[in-house]
Amino acid sequence: MEAASIPTPAAHEDHHHGPPTANQSSRVNSEVLGILLFIISEIMLFGAFFAAYFFIRVVNSDAWPPGDGLPVAVAAINAAILLSSSVTMHWTDVSAKRGNDMAMRVGIVTTFLLGCTFLFIQINEYLHLGFTPETSASASVFFGLTGLHGAHVVIGLLLLWMSAVRIFKGKVGPNNHRGLEVPGIYWHFVDAMWIVVFTTIYVL
Amino acid sequence: MAAKIRQPGWYRALAFSILGVLVCLGLSTGLRAAFSVDPVYDGTSVLQISLLMVPLFFLGGIGCFDYWLRWASGRTVVDDHADHGAKSWRDYFKVNTDHKVIGIQYICVSFFFMFIGGLMAMLVRAELASPGRQFVDPNTYNGVFSIHATLLIFLFVIPVFAGIANYVLPLMIGAPDMAFPRLNALSFWMLPVAGTMMLLSFLAPGGSFAAGWTAYAPLSVDAPIGQAFFTIAVQFAGASSIATALNFLVTIITMRAPGMTFFRMPLLVWANFSTSLLVVIATPFIAASQFMVLLDRALGFNFFNPANGGDILMYQHVFWFYSHPAVYIMLLPGFGIISEVLATRARKPVFGYRMMAFSLLAIVLLGFTVWAHHMFVSGMSDWIRIPMMITTAIIAIPTGIKIFSWVATLWRGVIKMDTPMLWAVGFISMFTLGGISGVMLAMVPLDIHVSDTYFIVAHIHYVLFGGSMFTIMAGIYFWFPKMTGRMYNERLGKIHFWLTFVFFNVTFAPMHLIGVQGMPRRVSDYADQFATWNMIISISSFILGFASLIFLYNMIVSWRSGPKAGSNPWNSLTIEWQVSSPPPIFNFDSIPSVVGGPYEYGVPGAVHAILDQPAETPVAAGVGAASEEN
Amino acid sequence: MTGQSHRGAVTAKNWIALLAIIVVASAIGIAFMLALNWFPEQGSNVAPMIDTFWDVLVIVSVPIFVAVTTMLLFSVWRWRQKPGEEDLDGPPIHGSTKLEVIWTIIPTIVIAALTTYAAILLVDIQAAPAKGTRVVNVNGVQFAWDFETETPAGPVKSGRLYLPINEPVKFNVRSKDVIHDFWVPAFRLKVDAVPGITTTYNLTPTKLGTFDVVCAELCGLGHAYMRQTVTVLTAERYATVMAGLARASGAKPPAGGAAADVAGEKLFVSGNPATGATACGACHALKAAGTTAATGPNLDEMLTKDDAAAIMEMIVDPNKEIVPGYSKGIMPANYATTLTKAELAALVKYIDQSVHGKG
Ligand code: HEA
Ligand code: HEA
Ligand code: HEC
Ligand code: CUA
Ligand SMILES: [Cu+2]
Repeated sequence: MEAASIPTPAAHEDHHHGPPTANQSSRVNSEVLGILLFIISEIMLFGAFFAAYFFIRVVNSDAWPPGDGLPVAVAAINAAILLSSSVTMHWTDVSAKRGNDMAMRVGIVTTFLLGCTFLFIQINEYLHLGFTPETSASASVFFGLTGLHGAHVVIGLLLLWMSAVRIFKGKVGPNNHRGLEVPGIYWHFVDAMWIVVFTTIYVL
Repeated sequence: MAAKIRQPGWYRALAFSILGVLVCLGLSTGLRAAFSVDPVYDGTSVLQISLLMVPLFFLGGIGCFDYWLRWASGRTVVDDHADHGAKSWRDYFKVNTDHKVIGIQYICVSFFFMFIGGLMAMLVRAELASPGRQFVDPNTYNGVFSIHATLLIFLFVIPVFAGIANYVLPLMIGAPDMAFPRLNALSFWMLPVAGTMMLLSFLAPGGSFAAGWTAYAPLSVDAPIGQAFFTIAVQFAGASSIATALNFLVTIITMRAPGMTFFRMPLLVWANFSTSLLVVIATPFIAASQFMVLLDRALGFNFFNPANGGDILMYQHVFWFYSHPAVYIMLLPGFGIISEVLATRARKPVFGYRMMAFSLLAIVLLGFTVWAHHMFVSGMSDWIRIPMMITTAIIAIPTGIKIFSWVATLWRGVIKMDTPMLWAVGFISMFTLGGISGVMLAMVPLDIHVSDTYFIVAHIHYVLFGGSMFTIMAGIYFWFPKMTGRMYNERLGKIHFWLTFVFFNVTFAPMHLIGVQGMPRRVSDYADQFATWNMIISISSFILGFASLIFLYNMIVSWRSGPKAGSNPWNSLTIEWQVSSPPPIFNFDSIPSVVGGPYEYGVPGAVHAILDQPAETPVAAGVGAASEEN
Repeated sequence: MTGQSHRGAVTAKNWIALLAIIVVASAIGIAFMLALNWFPEQGSNVAPMIDTFWDVLVIVSVPIFVAVTTMLLFSVWRWRQKPGEEDLDGPPIHGSTKLEVIWTIIPTIVIAALTTYAAILLVDIQAAPAKGTRVVNVNGVQFAWDFETETPAGPVKSGRLYLPINEPVKFNVRSKDVIHDFWVPAFRLKVDAVPGITTTYNLTPTKLGTFDVVCAELCGLGHAYMRQTVTVLTAERYATVMAGLARASGAKPPAGGAAADVAGEKLFVSGNPATGATACGACHALKAAGTTAATGPNLDEMLTKDDAAAIMEMIVDPNKEIVPGYSKGIMPANYATTLTKAELAALVKYIDQSVHGKG
């Protein structure tokens, strides 16, 4: 995840000579490109679950919504929380590039806490829905899509945690921010995906 | 001992795996106790959680995550290339970041699974040699052909191509390594995990997974626990190929040598570029299909339970949206290999280079529009069938462009018919046959009769054996001198080819006939009228299996004691042949610069790339300049 | 590296020879392929259409394969590296737009023609059945089919499919457990039996006789044995058979007697799909019932020394004793719950009588 994966010429050990510097044949940074391609994969993974949603709700016309109504208001608040965490994430990233240490630290902690809040509300919602995946196929799709997204939030939170650790150890700064930028891109993706999931599940 | 366990490696992997099992045991019983489920201990649940988690512990133990964890915990990481390159054979059993070592690891492991998968095929043929029951009961039989196909697809064809490309692709584009060497190592180590898991399913209570490589729901949902081994192993194999594909794409886009424009890339690079696009976009679908099966199996979800509103055909749509592109994932890299071999051994530029590149991309695009041709008799809505028939048949056009261009490449060349070339020429002919039977299958009215018969089995093997396997053989023989620094035995190579070629046809050609006559596939017993052909097929298949032993012998003996091969035995222009065999540990002393196309054979004085090999200076000052502009 | 001239380009004579070879080899190839006996007998109105379509596909395909292979072999033969040519390169031909256009357009035309033909054919095959078509409900269960013919007097169930000749029939195909596939090779049509939905096709049987019904979708360990038969009869014979079947399935089985035999045979051949009792005939051969499956032992041979009580025990608790050469757990162990006491008794009586030639 760090620039170190394209090794720089060996400055340390003199007796063993390292690889030559690779030619940079594109303007895109390789880590950023890597995470973008990975996000394409992730979108397809969600796509498959949306296909399941389509088949079960539209083709098979299984009763929708599962149970008696979904808590749209809660989910909307959750969407707002996640969106604001995207804003704070962006702020963290900008602060890192500007070298504003304090703002960066506050930013990453806020983002992390907002993410945790989202997860907490989501789990709480699960417990009060009144139906389980075993109830019906629609319920399975509901848990499938929101659960898949929840799993991504968990992964995103892990990445944020790592970024936070590195920030607090002073490893992130204007000249060394890829390690923050890449998890940031992933976090934005997780947030954007919630908007899509939210819209298809709760609104439509 | 304690020190050994702290070091990444097999001891730690073992310790971590045991720890993993204990954690899963705790997790399962703990959760069940917390939700007061009775009984607290449930073997199936422990097993299922272990299948998911223990591999992660193993990968951690062997050392795939060490660097990242150190980095993530904010410690200083120095890349001293300690885990780069192999100094002894032992290094091949460790986590290594050198694309050349990883390439060899990939190739050896996938061939290991090829031989196991082939052995399963021998069992299949032994059982089918005559009607009635020979060696295995019907359930074991279903398991045997399921594992046969699964191993050969997910642990042989797909990864062996990744292995070959891992070795030669960075060299070809003038890169010192792949873009993400540690991710590369992780991709590799997920393979033995997936393969072992599939084989272990034989030991599962109720037998191995036995629902075919397609694992259709609801059969796979109701099946015994062995099926979970498939469901989860496929996740690891899939994650492995996605990670490799990302790596190839980023490497190709960002690490080409100066002067290596897209249209100066060798076609193997183009082929892997296209394949990787397919992998990145399609593979998540098989992951999703198996996640859904797993959720249905383990947690009582209703995705495929029609009684509760589930949709069974949805499984097939999701599965084939991956698995049709997967058949091109299993062939496009082979197309690349064939282009390299033909140009070099016929001493001519690849005919219509640009169209060759564009037809690859066309196949990628079209590949996403045809999945339902596997579902012509599945009972899906009728109106999808005709559009899918048309898109499917259209794929013959870009594929035809490739076939014809290869023939034109041979035309008026100076053709040296040595082993790689025999496989390449054999491939063109056999794949054309398999492709044509594919176009016949695309024709819905015929498919309604022959779907799920031995006609399909014949098609599968003409495209996968006559297609993919032949290209793999061409590639292995072609790059063997580069990878090992030694020459294989040409005579044994030729015997291997001719035995394979003849008995491949005797084995699989009659399957077209018995298929149309009405023999269904996936059966351990069949009507007496097919007895004669099946006996012939079985005998021939054993000789086919024997031929692969010649190959094995040739490879092992030549690797150890074959004559030394020079750096460029084929007199090729592409960059990988301009460095020593095997290449130096960091590939180049300085990055080469590319000045022309890759196949300018016959053009007087043409050069593809300039490599200067300064004797001792580790870093050539001038070379970095090009990259600093960006 | 040059000095090509002596290798020469292709002469007009070469071209003529090549063309001749392709034409002759294609002709031989087509003749050979058409001479082979590909298809099973033609049992329905659809069969001739499919068989003709196959012939067309063969006639189109063989020349493509022959042309590619001939050009390959010719190149390899004509331009093989000869001694002294080790350092020679071929002429640097990079491509030819004209050729590339040709070999894009020709396959396009072939594809367009074939798909058009196929689409029209498909529409013909699926043409809606005439009014008053007979409807047969085909139900798949692991590992047997049962058939339910709709008649004005109500549905008639049978373990063997009977159809009248030259009368359109529509199949409604369903499944109770996993996916099966209803295929009659002689009719050329098949469709999956998918739990939760009904799939259909229709055709007109055109030939008297008995044909195989094959399950063509992997459905579990008994998949290979999920084979039954369809018998196409003249209208008169059909009416008699159906009347007999109607009587059998309508009658309430009294204890013992002839009716019990019928119920026993029915249970043996078709099981009881309603409760999930798998047909014995899916796995066992029994002469009297006309089943030939070989997943389990041949009952005529195995049961010669067993009395009714022993047979009952083997059915109710099959895993207690395993016949040598077979494995445990294949024969369903649930017959004690899926069949009623009366049904079990009828079944055992039927088997006992069949094997020992009583009654
Ligand atoms: C490497 C793997 C591979 C490849 C490349 C292909 C290539 C093709 N396949 Fe195949 N296929 C499989 C692997 C592959 N397939 C497998 C594994 C299955 C079974 C899965 C299962 O159920 O287990 C399968 C099943 C399968 C089916 C489903 C059958 C069924 O289950 O009922 C169909 C139907 O359309 C089909 C069609 C095609 C077509 C049209 C191509 C085309 O891409 C072929 C194109 C190539 C050519 C046509 C030859 C060269 C072209 C010319 C010389 C030009 C001129 C030609 C013409 C004008 C015809 N395949
Ligand atoms: C790359 C893919 C690949 C390859 C290489 C092969 C190779 C072979 N396959 Fe396979 N096959 C599939 C992919 C492949 N297959 C798929 C996808 C299916 C569909 C499965 C499904 O329905 O789900 C299938 C199904 C399939 C069936 C149908 C099973 C059924 O439907 O019931 C059969 C039957 O004959 C068969 C045979 C063979 C044979 C004889 C070989 C031979 O070519 C193998 C030769 C190689 C070896 C034998 C090497 C090992 C040799 C040794 C270990 C030495 C020992 C040798 C001796 C005993 C002499 N295959
Ligand atoms: C899925 C396959 C299958 C089905 C369905 C099946 N059997 Fe079996 N049967 C077997 C197998 C395999 C064996 C041998 C192994 C064993 O002894 O359990 C067997 C054994 C037997 C035996 C014991 C033979 C002996 O000599 O000991 C009897 C009797 C028998 N079956 C009767 C029946 C009857 C009656 C039915 C239907 C109600 C039936 N079977 C359904 C597979 C099947
Ligand atoms: Cu029923 Cu196969
Ligand atoms: Cu396909």
